[in-house]
Amino acid sequence: MRDLLSYLFKRFIWMILTLLAVYTVSFVLMRAVPGNPFSGERNVPPAIERQLKARYNLDAPPIQQYFDYLGGIVTDFDLGWCMGLEDYSVNQVLAEGFPVSATLAIFALVFAIILGVTAGVISAVYRRSPADVALMAAAVLGIAIPNFVLASLAILLFVFTIQIFPAGGWGTLQQIALPAFCLGLPVAAYIARLSRAGMLETLSKDHVRTAFAKGLPKRTVILRHVLPGAMLPVVSYLGPAVARVLTGSLVLEKIFALPGLGSHFINAATQRDYTLAMGMVLTYTVLLFVMNTLVDISYAIIDPRVKLQ
Amino acid sequence: MPESLSQPDAAPSRHGEPLLQVNDLQVSFKTDDSRVRAVRGVSFDIYPGETVGLVGESGSGKSVTNLALMGLVPSPPGRVDGGSVMYDGKDLLKLSPLQMQSIRGRRIAMIFQDPMTALNPLMTVGQQLTEMTRLHLGLSRRQANEKAAEMLELVGISGASRRLRDYPHQFSGGMRQRVMIAMALSCEPDLLIADEPTTALDVTIQAQILDLLRELQERRGTSIILITHDLGVVAETCHRVLVMYAGKVVEKSDAGPLFASPQHPYTQGLLQSLPRFDQVQTTLRAIPGQPPDLGNLPEGCSFRSRCPLAIDRCAREEPPLASVGDRREAACWVAEENANG
Ligand SMILES: Nc1ncnc2c1ncn2[C@@H]1O[C@H](COP(=O)(O)OP(=O)(O)OP(=O)(O)O)[C@@H](O)[C@H]1O
Ligand code: SF4
Ligand SMILES: [Mg+2]
Repeated sequence: MRDLLSYLFKRFIWMILTLLAVYTVSFVLMRAVPGNPFSGERNVPPAIERQLKARYNLDAPPIQQYFDYLGGIVTDFDLGWCMGLEDYSVNQVLAEGFPVSATLAIFALVFAIILGVTAGVISAVYRRSPADVALMAAAVLGIAIPNFVLASLAILLFVFTIQIFPAGGWGTLQQIALPAFCLGLPVAAYIARLSRAGMLETLSKDHVRTAFAKGLPKRTVILRHVLPGAMLPVVSYLGPAVARVLTGSLVLEKIFALPGLGSHFINAATQRDYTLAMGMVLTYTVLLFVMNTLVDISYAIIDPRVKLQ
Repeated sequence: MPESLSQPDAAPSRHGEPLLQVNDLQVSFKTDDSRVRAVRGVSFDIYPGETVGLVGESGSGKSVTNLALMGLVPSPPGRVDGGSVMYDGKDLLKLSPLQMQSIRGRRIAMIFQDPMTALNPLMTVGQQLTEMTRLHLGLSRRQANEKAAEMLELVGISGASRRLRDYPHQFSGGMRQRVMIAMALSCEPDLLIADEPTTALDVTIQAQILDLLRELQERRGTSIILITHDLGVVAETCHRVLVMYAGKVVEKSDAGPLFASPQHPYTQGLLQSLPRFDQVQTTLRAIPGQPPDLGNLPEGCSFRSRCPLAIDRCAREEPPLASVGDRREAACWVAEENANG
């Protein structure tokens, strides 16, 4: 317990430092590219541009902007007004979009884990069988096909040809299913390969032979003595998997017209919505940190030899 | 009659029925370009309450022979090609997986060579000890825990009930091997196969473990097959000895006569390479030359290229295991000739 608390404390300090670094780099990068949110095609009268700049504190010297904005975030979690969406604060946009993106990501991940692990275990247990060959061929395909191609194909197939899913929208399980499937499939494919390799490696371990020598039924040996060890690489991969699902969902949400952060993110990038972009970058940083911490803790729970540090 | 602690008891009488009869056992492994014949017609009997030593250099087929008895030859690439293992009126090689499960661990238990890797690192020692007794003896969780603690005490692990909650990495190598022994003995098997149970351990602990096995055997009348590289251990522990070479048993004898007058040139070589009988740390690799390629065996006697006594016949015909004295057999033309005048 002491270990866990000190680990969590250390992770927290690291997260704060990382956030500060991410904030700084993002701030500099955004200012480094020429132009600002109000330049470009829209020709804003100079008076209004001045007014806008004042509202967003863009007329202050950059150093002061840096600290003013940072101060707002630290004291009030206030990420300011969106520069691209009039009359929306960044916090509002995040509060509306984040639950959608998070729900989609969770569905995709759970789907990927269940499908990937099942496929990997079957492949390994029935090694070299037709099932193994078919599953692993599918996994290679699944890894190779980019999300958006998969999404287009899926829409073509399930929405237009055999109409069993709606093309877009949000709220019902049916509406979540297709994007979650497209988002999760490549991750499932990767998890399938990791699980298969993990299973085969663990199956060849001496202690598994011991388990068989004890007279345990094959099912018990597989589930109790092989599966946990085989899942360690999968657990390690969950950190990157979360990142992958989150970035993938940015594109997929646009394709499926989902009201998540994805469409905002793309708008924020194209319209130089500094504040919204910053809000999203920081949110995702926190999210990844939390996920990786959970992954580390799960790993340590499965493998008692591992000490959290 | 007082007996020195370091000598095995007199061999138990072999008038009764053998516990286990291995007949012409054959096991092979498929490799890229050939079939490695790891066990080539091995036969032996194990009687109740005796300890049989199985010696032979690395790769001679000791482990594979015993894995075959347990139905644990890894397949693929391994395959049992023939023979029978009679136990309790049944051929173990013909049992269904389910029937075999009720023999493994319950009637025949095995201790593996490397205690560092033979236990599951992700489960507590208690979980690993109790899953067997719950399965085979139908104990409740509480009974199984009590039994597990009792077994750990028996093999000399103190604070046993506390240590049940520990993981294998919290035990030293010697302690892990004790845990393995406790596990193997927890269902009171008829036969214990100990595959180099002390190789990875230092000499003091090695002696402790062997004493432990001997003591447990006396108490329960368990038969033991002891696989080892160490002739010192054999002299100290075994009633009978099987010497294996290139997948065959080349000499079979009671322990005393074997050490006094080895019949097979390979056994003679082994004993010569053992400078003194009381020297404990002696491996069997000291005979010059290499064992033959089991995937591509030469004609005639497989020991011929290393044999100082080889005659013409050895190149043409492979010698069968034949009687060379009272309860002694050797697979060697010269030994057979000498014995039969
Ligand atoms: N899993 C396997 N795959 C291929 N060949 C194997 C396998 N296991 C054993 N063999 C072969 O079977 C032969 C006998 O091996 P075995 O393990 O029985 O030897 P051993 O007498 O126990 O040796 P050691 O003293 O080193 O333990 C070896 O030549 C080895 O190449
Ligand atoms: S049969 Fe011939 S080669 Fe083989 S051990 Fe005897 S003497 Fe040596
Ligand atoms: Mg071996």
